[in-house]
Amino acid sequence: MKFEGTYTLPVPREVAWRELMNPQTLARALPGCEKFEANPAGGFDVVLKIGIASLKGAYQGHVEIQDPNPPQSYRMKVEGKGTGGFLKGEGVLALTESAGNTTINYSGDAQVGGPIAGIGQRLVQAAARQIIQQFFQSLTNAIQASG
Amino acid sequence: MIPEPFEYHIPKNLEEASRLLAQFGGEGKILAGGHSLVPMMKLRLAAPRHLIDLGRLTDLKYIREADGKIEIGALTTHFQIQSSSLLKDKCSLLPETAREIGDVQVRNRGTIGGSLAHSDPAADWPATILALAGEIQARNVSSSRWIPASEFFVDLLTTALGSDEVLTAIRMPVAPPRSGHAYLKLHHPASGYAMVGVAAQVVLNEAGHIESANVGITGVGPKAYRATAVEAALRGKAPGRHNLEAAASHAVVGIEVNSDLYASAEYRSHLAQVYTRRALEKAVERAHGK
Repeated sequence: MKFEGTYTLPVPREVAWRELMNPQTLARALPGCEKFEANPAGGFDVVLKIGIASLKGAYQGHVEIQDPNPPQSYRMKVEGKGTGGFLKGEGVLALTESAGNTTINYSGDAQVGGPIAGIGQRLVQAAARQIIQQFFQSLTNAIQASG
Repeated sequence: MIPEPFEYHIPKNLEEASRLLAQFGGEGKILAGGHSLVPMMKLRLAAPRHLIDLGRLTDLKYIREADGKIEIGALTTHFQIQSSSLLKDKCSLLPETAREIGDVQVRNRGTIGGSLAHSDPAADWPATILALAGEIQARNVSSSRWIPASEFFVDLLTTALGSDEVLTAIRMPVAPPRSGHAYLKLHHPASGYAMVGVAAQVVLNEAGHIESANVGITGVGPKAYRATAVEAALRGKAPGRHNLEAAASHAVVGIEVNSDLYASAEYRSHLAQVYTRRALEKAVERAHGK
């Protein structure tokens, strides 16, 4: 499943980059994040409680940041497994600045399996879009809260 | 699979139900007919820790008419709506929609309130309630309000209901004179959900032109929506095939069309336009019949 979109953060690009690389900000931004720990072998281990409305499930996963090209772009790899199924996603995020705001263009590929991909398949695309928006909205809140 | 463990509560009245909902926060979920929620719980896509069964709130099962409006209690089943002679006479779009839902078992247990509160992007009631410009009553321990359908469906599976509000009733105007209605649906052959569902109300003026048209579409985007571009294109026009087809071509304007295993976004957009045209044609035919 391909996905792509944009989101504008109301901060300059240097700040956006710094916060996207900051584990504490990410932990606050990831929806329903209950655990966010650096893995000694690289990347981060996470436990997320994500879903739409009241249909939430707990997912254990791993996040890796690759090919960092500050402050312009990086690649992110996400893997997660939970009672609703599993997902594997990889995407590129590109940051551009204009008038003190940062526009993030993201595009990537995801594979989904298990019940969410079976019975929930017709909901997956819209749900993914909403969760990605939730992430960026929380990220905005987290950045603004940390001043 | 079987659901994850949960506690089951069966309140005696609305106040108790609302209090329980407020008490459990995000871990509480209301159970009405159960035919959307329980399958999701069995697949563990939903795992509420507390189920609040509204089965004792029998005073929420009713269909009545007052002051030019139809009011339906939230726990009225699809079958009750389908078989109501009052509705067949005064608001025929409702029984016509009810007939298309799920199957006999789902229609016997499923409720209109449950369907609207769940707001599945391919459910039938949201399209029809939007086309009828209905209102949805939400109550908690301290307040009661009517939410217009146009504000009720917020996003995928997300409504304007507050976390401690119970959906208690739905109300809409009786069918106006010189109006015709239709609900057309392409059923998914296995699940029965709408791959596209279009609810249309067309009102003609004395000259036989379209005074107004309301079109509600489900199964196409992340939520059911009013096809306002279609409606605008019909206003004041003669209801001939050419005009209906031209208006129907706007069916997915501004909508992020869903793509899944069964229909690509492109195919689904095409379906939406075809079904919109057909629903409009049927509604016009029925408006003429009056």
